[in-house]
Formats: sequence, C-alpha cells, structure tokens
Amino acid sequence: MIHVAGIDIGSTYSKAVLIDEHGNVVGRGVRRTGFKLAQASEAVFDELVANAGVARTDVTYVASTGYGRHTVPFRNTQLTELTAHAHAAVHLFPDTRTILDIGGQDIKAIRVDGDGRVKAFRLNDKCAAGTGAFLEKTARYLGLTTDDIGPYASRSTNPKPVSSVCAVFAESEVISHLASGVPAEDIMMGAMVALGGRAVQLMRRVGLEPGYMLTGGMTRNVAMIKALEENLKDTLRVAPDGLGQLNGALGAALLGLRRVQKLIAEGRPIAAVQTPADGEHAKRRRWSAIAVRRTEPCRGDGCSVATKLQPRPSAVAA
Amino acid sequence: MTTATLEHGPAGSAADAFDPRSEGQRLIKAWYADLEQANERRQPVANVFVMGNAIEILRAFDFKLVFPEINSLQTGVRKASEEYIRLSEDYGMSPDVCSYVKADVGLMLKENRHPAGNIPKASLAIASNMCGTFIKWAEIWERWLKTPTFVLDLPGQRAAGWQVRPGDAQHASDARWVEAQFTELIARCEAITGRKLDLDRLAEIEERVNRMVFHWNNVMRLNRACPAPYNAMLDGLTFIGIMNVYRGAEEGVEFMRRLDEHLQAKVARGEGRVADEHYRLIFSGTPCYVSMRRLVELFETWGGVFAYSDYLTFAAGGMDATDIVYDTSRPLESLAEVTALAAHRGLSNQFFAHERLAGQIRDYGADGVVFHGIKSCRFVSSGMADTREYLSRRLDVPTLYIESDLIDPRYWSDAQIKNRVDAFFEALHQRGGGPVGRKANEERRASA
Ligand code: SF4
Repeated sequence: MIHVAGIDIGSTYSKAVLIDEHGNVVGRGVRRTGFKLAQASEAVFDELVANAGVARTDVTYVASTGYGRHTVPFRNTQLTELTAHAHAAVHLFPDTRTILDIGGQDIKAIRVDGDGRVKAFRLNDKCAAGTGAFLEKTARYLGLTTDDIGPYASRSTNPKPVSSVCAVFAESEVISHLASGVPAEDIMMGAMVALGGRAVQLMRRVGLEPGYMLTGGMTRNVAMIKALEENLKDTLRVAPDGLGQLNGALGAALLGLRRVQKLIAEGRPIAAVQTPADGEHAKRRRWSAIAVRRTEPCRGDGCSVATKLQPRPSAVAA
Repeated sequence: MTTATLEHGPAGSAADAFDPRSEGQRLIKAWYADLEQANERRQPVANVFVMGNAIEILRAFDFKLVFPEINSLQTGVRKASEEYIRLSEDYGMSPDVCSYVKADVGLMLKENRHPAGNIPKASLAIASNMCGTFIKWAEIWERWLKTPTFVLDLPGQRAAGWQVRPGDAQHASDARWVEAQFTELIARCEAITGRKLDLDRLAEIEERVNRMVFHWNNVMRLNRACPAPYNAMLDGLTFIGIMNVYRGAEEGVEFMRRLDEHLQAKVARGEGRVADEHYRLIFSGTPCYVSMRRLVELFETWGGVFAYSDYLTFAAGGMDATDIVYDTSRPLESLAEVTALAAHRGLSNQFFAHERLAGQIRDYGADGVVFHGIKSCRFVSSGMADTREYLSRRLDVPTLYIESDLIDPRYWSDAQIKNRVDAFFEALHQRGGGPVGRKANEERRASA
C-alpha cells in the first residue's frame, strides 16, 4: 500500500494531505505555522497520520512545498507551491488555465497548460495590501475573527472602497471610515472588493485565459469569491470538499506519487521517511537563509529536485 | 587606422596561474589607495560616470578618476551601503531616489570617508545625458562641493532598428557635435591643469584602449561557449570594474590580455563556471551588488549560469562593439567618432532593446532571460515589462522578473526571491528546459 504525503508550509498555515496510490485523498491536516517551521511540519504530519488512521511508517514518500519547504526534515523532495498548485488544479479540473491563490502573505497568479505545467506566473510585489493578511488586519480592527469575515461582509449593501495600495495605510483608511460612521460590514466588503481588484489585476498580468480557479484559504470565504467573480465577470472553480486550502499540499502529494511510481517502475529504492528521535524537534534551529543554503538540494534518494520532477516525455520533446 | 597589438599568445600555464578575481580585487584596492593621495599630491581629480565620460581626454591631462557609481556599489559589496543610504534619507532624500545617488550623498555627509579609503575632492565632474540622474547628481556636487560640471550631450538611439554606421552622414554629423563639445572640455581641462593637450599622449591612451577593447570583446564572446567559463553577473562584475576604472591604462590592458588567455584556456579544457551547466541565462538590468553572490548562488544551485548580461555592455559605456577601434593618427576626431558609436551602442541596449536581446539569446544559446527590476533606476527598469512581454509572448522565451535594489539591502527579500527562482527553474524543467546547454553538455560528455 502506497501513501504519499504532501506538506505545504505556508507563512500563516501549514497544510498536509495524504493520498493513496490512486491519488485519492485519505487524510488531511491544517494548523497555524507559527515561527518554528520544523516543528510545524512535524505537528501537521502527526495530525495528518492521525486523521488518516495510519502510522508514520506507513507513509512511503513526503513531498514538501510552500515557503518552509526546505525546513521539513523528513521530506523526500521539495517543490515550489507554484508547481504544486498548477498540478493539483489541473488534476481536479482539467480545463483550468488560470489559477489565483491568495495566501496569508502573498498572492499568486499562475497560467497553466492542459498538462498542469506552469506557463507563466506572477507574485504580488513586496506589499501585503493584496494578501490575506490585509483582510485579517482589517477584520482585527473591526473586532472580527478570520472565520467571521465572509458571513459578516455578506450583509453589506453599500461596500466602502479602500483605495490605499499599502496595507498599513489602508488601516488608517478603515479607522477614518469607522469614525465617519460607515457600517463595519460595508468596510469589510470594501476591503474585499479592493483585494479582489488587485488579485484580478495580477491575473491579467499572466494573461486571463478562461478556466479560472481559486485556491488557498480564501476558498472558504463566500463573500470574497463573489467579489472576485464580479471583478472577473466569470465564475471561479473551487476545489470540492474543503480541499481549496489544501490545493498546494495536494499538488505536492500528486507529484510525489508520480515520482514514487517512476522509482518503482525503474526498480530503484525509495528512502524511508525519517522519524525524528525524541527531543529532536527542540534542537532544530529556526529557519533562516543560512539554513536554506545548508539544506538544499534535498537529499531524499540522492538526487536534486531537477531530476525528481520528471516531465512527461512529450514535454521533454517539445 | 591602427590594428596593432591585436595578437596574443597561446593559452598556456601562465593563463592558468592567473586568478581574475584576486587580481581584480588587487587592482581596485590599488586604485583606491592611489586616489587617497590625490588631493595631498595636488593632482587634478575628475568625477566621471561609467557611460559617456571622455576618460581618454582626462587621462591625457593626468586627472585621477573618481567613479561615484563604483564608490556607491562598493559600499554595497562591502556591506556598508545601508549606513550611507540612511544618512541621505535622514537628510531628506526619498526611498525612491536612485540608491547610488543616495549612497554618494551619504558619503559626502560622512566627509568622503568610504570603506575603501578617503575619496578626493574633484575639480571637475563630467556628466552625460546617458541617464538623466547623472545630471541631477552632478548638480548636487556643484552645489555642495563647488565641483564644476561639464555635461556631454551624446546622441543615442533615434528609433527602433536605427543603426549608426561608421562614416555615414548621420554618424559624421553626430561625431562633429561630440567633437565640438570635446574641444570645449579640453579648454576647461587646460584651464584647470595649466597644460596644453598633448595629442601624442591622447593617441597612446587610445592605443591602450584599442588593445583593451579587443580583449574585452573576446572575453564577452568566449562566454558563448558551453559550458560558459564565467558567470556574467559575478565574475563579469569584476571584469567590468577593471574595464571602467583602468580604461586606457597599461594595467587594464594587461588584466584584459591575461583574462582573455585564462578564459581561452578554460574553454579549451571544457571547464565551466558551473560544474554541471544545465541552463544558460541572460541577465537584463543592473545587479543587486549587496546580494549578488546570493542571487547567483540561487541560480547556480540549479545549474543555471548567466552567460551574458546587457549590463556588461551599457555599464562599460558600450565599448564592446567590434567597430570600436580608435584611429590614433587622428586622435581627437576618432575619439569623437567612437564616443558617438559607443554611446549609441550603450543606449541601444536599453532603448528599443527587444531585437537586440533576441539576438543575444541566439548568440549565447540562452534558455531564458532574467529581468532584475529596480524601482529607483527607471533608466534601466521602465521598459522591462514590455521587453519581457515581447520575449515571452512573441518568441516564447521563458522569462523571470525579480525585484530588489542596486545596493539597498532593505529591498532584498530572500524567501520571496528564492521562491520565484525555484518556480522559474521548475517551469523551465517542465517545458523540457535547457535544450541548448544540455545538448552541448551531452555532446561534450559523449566526446570525452
Ligand atoms: S542608470 Fe540607474 S543606477 Fe545608474 S545613475 Fe541612472 S538611475 Fe542610477
């Protein structure tokens, strides 16, 4: 029995998905990342195996992705979330061509081909105004939790635009709207409209090719999806069964599975997924640029990512 | 027209003993040490920019040359730039102003104390219209330090596909325009130094530039080999430093000659900068001197090497054109003719650059182009989006856009840049990337 885990260590949340040899999702886990990335990956992995009802030793292969991909100590391979999102999106909806992923600290637009290969991508500039953090900040000012944002904003009848391009300045704008008596739901919805506008602008920069899909935590926010669709003037596909937030982890797992199948077909060994000794979590240092340099490329079964991400033969010939 | 001294010996063990990096560092150190003495020795000093600078005339008058852009980038290389930049921001300069200017303003606020040594006060500053910022920058020196400015107005690219042909009517009239300005400059230099221009001296300097440019062209061409013997954005930055600072000096000729030999030997041995070259790339834009080593490392981890960069052309004042050879029998006229050509060459790498970049992709067998945008350098960065669009949509060339700064470490975001670089290589790999580099590597292995 093959089990492949995809672990996505994002800036705000760590997500994990376990799939079987047919690519079916058999387990999942989500938790806040915090600032100890190696520990976050261990914790979300523990949550994943508990959720799937398997032992750690039952996991054949681990593919990591996200900003903290290098810090997953037990990974066999690593890949960026752009590649992972693209692959999962086309796996779930084969006609997906443009993906929008709104994360805690960044926002990505990815154009893909029918094989799930990345054709073009753009990430937001070094500003948080177009990211999930912007909405979270606005919500915090209004005394709302992240989960309340969507239902609360849905009550808005007259969204109040937030025009600033800077998340910090936008906060002052929110305060000034509140002071002049604008209802909080209109401010919240206004923030979503602003975020939606920036997101769609980013999508335009990769080229708006119909077959749109939204991934990331925002898939749980119905009001945000509505704001985006209005701006896009088209519908956005969202992964079923709450998988939207787990899309990156799913893509990593699927690419990991492909790698496992290739290793098996070639009769090559698969390195065992490591289990840390007791207390080892505590010894791991915080992630830093230096740590990144020391840990890459990953050493799972002796080859670099470049050789692990096997393109389909047709792609190589192209 | 002189063609002398273009011969060079066979690549041999002397070439192997030459270490361009340490030799380059030694020369830069020596140059700063020499500058430190200039005011004390009452030598004339001139501030010049790397593009459009009339160095040959200044050298003929024995001016010591200060390159403020190089001073600024050296604060970055030496990890001291933030202190200088902050000083200028405290003075009131906006974060959006070119950080070279800000580091230089910081240097003035620190009374010319630079990490590499004290920078002498200049008695003349040559600016040019190659970048509008140069003129504003020179204006600050004039006001703060009373350094008189001389602005050269150099003709550049007039339209897309516009070619300047040596000797045609347009070039002749451009050269006359430049020569008239040089005549005025010479009068200024004569007034400062109390000496007449020695035309034989100018011809000697030009002769040395001819030799240097000959080797410089070879150096650029040698990186068309696969694997590339050097990284244009790491080793290349040392080379271009020498090309600028020692242009027309015997040490510069010798450095370039030995470098040329050294690289020829490397190419003959099939030795690349990257042990296993998978991807050949072109870097478009100005470097991030404060993190260049790290940036290059991010690419080399994937077997990616920068085979060429337009920076090596425009920041060397456009001297890498084969038709740039001084006719030393007519030193002044020829200087004007070549300056008009070089200015055009330097600027054409930035204006209407699409076709030229497409040609360079072919020449260097590049698998993709990396654009490095710098918000505060509009001269280089403004057109990037359009060029990028042209390359990716029209020519299907993979491109990557990253953003940081020349020397301001606050703009370097390691995780974000790494993510973009990794995703770029994953996409390159998925599309079967690196065809040129890989094919050549395979052929090399097969024949080994
Ligand atoms: S070219 Fe760019 S870096 Fe150089 S002076 Fe002009 S603005 Fe500054």
